[in-house]
Amino acid sequence: MVRGLLCVALLLVTVAARAETWPDKEWAKGALLAGPAVDALNAYAFPPRDDATRQGIRTDALLVIRDGVVIYERYAAPTIASTPHLTWSISKSLMATVLGVAYGENRFKLTDPAARFYPPMKQHPTVTMADLLHWASGLDWQEDYEYAPLKSSVVAMLYTRGRGDMAEFAADTERAAAPGQAFRYSSGDSNILSAALKGMLGHKAYMSYPWDVLFKPLGIRNATWETDADETFVASSYAYLTARDLARVGLLMARNGRWGDQQLLPQEWVAFNRQPFDSYKAGQDEAVPGGHWWLNREVQGAARPWPDAPADTFAALGHWGQALYVMPDEHLVIVRYGDDRDGSYRHNELLKRVLAAVQP
Amino acid sequence: MIRRRPFTRLFLLLLLAVAGWVWHERVNLQAFPDIIAAYTAKEYCSCRYVANNPADYCRGYVKQYVPTSAFSDNPERSEVTASGLGRTHTARWMGERQGCRLVP
Repeated sequence: MVRGLLCVALLLVTVAARAETWPDKEWAKGALLAGPAVDALNAYAFPPRDDATRQGIRTDALLVIRDGVVIYERYAAPTIASTPHLTWSISKSLMATVLGVAYGENRFKLTDPAARFYPPMKQHPTVTMADLLHWASGLDWQEDYEYAPLKSSVVAMLYTRGRGDMAEFAADTERAAAPGQAFRYSSGDSNILSAALKGMLGHKAYMSYPWDVLFKPLGIRNATWETDADETFVASSYAYLTARDLARVGLLMARNGRWGDQQLLPQEWVAFNRQPFDSYKAGQDEAVPGGHWWLNREVQGAARPWPDAPADTFAALGHWGQALYVMPDEHLVIVRYGDDRDGSYRHNELLKRVLAAVQP
Repeated sequence: MIRRRPFTRLFLLLLLAVAGWVWHERVNLQAFPDIIAAYTAKEYCSCRYVANNPADYCRGYVKQYVPTSAFSDNPERSEVTASGLGRTHTARWMGERQGCRLVP
């Protein structure tokens, strides 16, 4: 009798697991969205494109996945489904995901000083892995891009003084505040994390690690991750993925680090990614920083960054409008690539229109 | 003295301030002219050889408010060279996984 019940229970669990859709070589395609709400979404995301002035919203790709199935997909030339698009700072969250696998392999603890894995950080011996993941190293970093190129640490790191060894360039930055005490968005922090991972693994294993532990298990076949001259992955900026492949990372995160029956990331790691950094002050950035991901959470009584999206929404965000949005409760993953040069694109507006379009 | 040459004094003071600023920012100022050539070479290379976009699109994609003076794309070697503000930089496609990188 008990055995019979157990069998039934097991069968139910199996059926439930089977009911979950995962992409194989390709994503499954569901009934594509249509109707006035979809027209409103298209009107916002894909207005006529002006390549002379480069003004306005310039979406390259928009992909919506619900329950593991494609329900909306559109590209603007020259981007197509097979284009590995530059993700810019989405790369930071990808590095966090790769680090999550290393965390699950017990290669480091969040409280470990980065200097343990990356000797140039001995200049800042108390900066921990968690501090770097919170963008709270306390280093005197200048994150401006093209509007303040003279003083920009990012521009110097990517194109001039730092490009030979970006992590070392970042580690050589002077201290401005005590580590872990204040949020200060820094591409330098992300590249120090990348170098720390290299220190954990050794050069050879590191060079194939993102493919071995993340891209291949997820079925991502053409990812590019550029390195500096020291062969450290440019975790701040230079990962390239197709929209469909980036959505696989989104689905992994939406399902709490699980891919099929494999728990690729420890659940506690995803919980850390999604936990707001407690020293973040509301309004310091466009969304609330978690562990190298961006959150749509209320902090210190301030409204959510994207009020029309649910509070459990989290995202990986990049320069010029790159975004991977994850809404676990809505079973939604949204990839948006763009080439926005004037900052007129609004996450909240896009999310609002996607949510309206997916209503049954 | 002060009353007779107020402009000379002001000019000297200004010159001193500028000199001080130049000294303070010497490292940044020295690297500054490299940005446009390095940016153009690297981002064009990735646009063309990593993302596989058409050449004319990539030329527009990397355009900035600072002009470039020379540009060459050598598809056989997957190598891109750009010049601007008197500096020249080259980026090379290293392979499927590693994409493009500025060569020293």
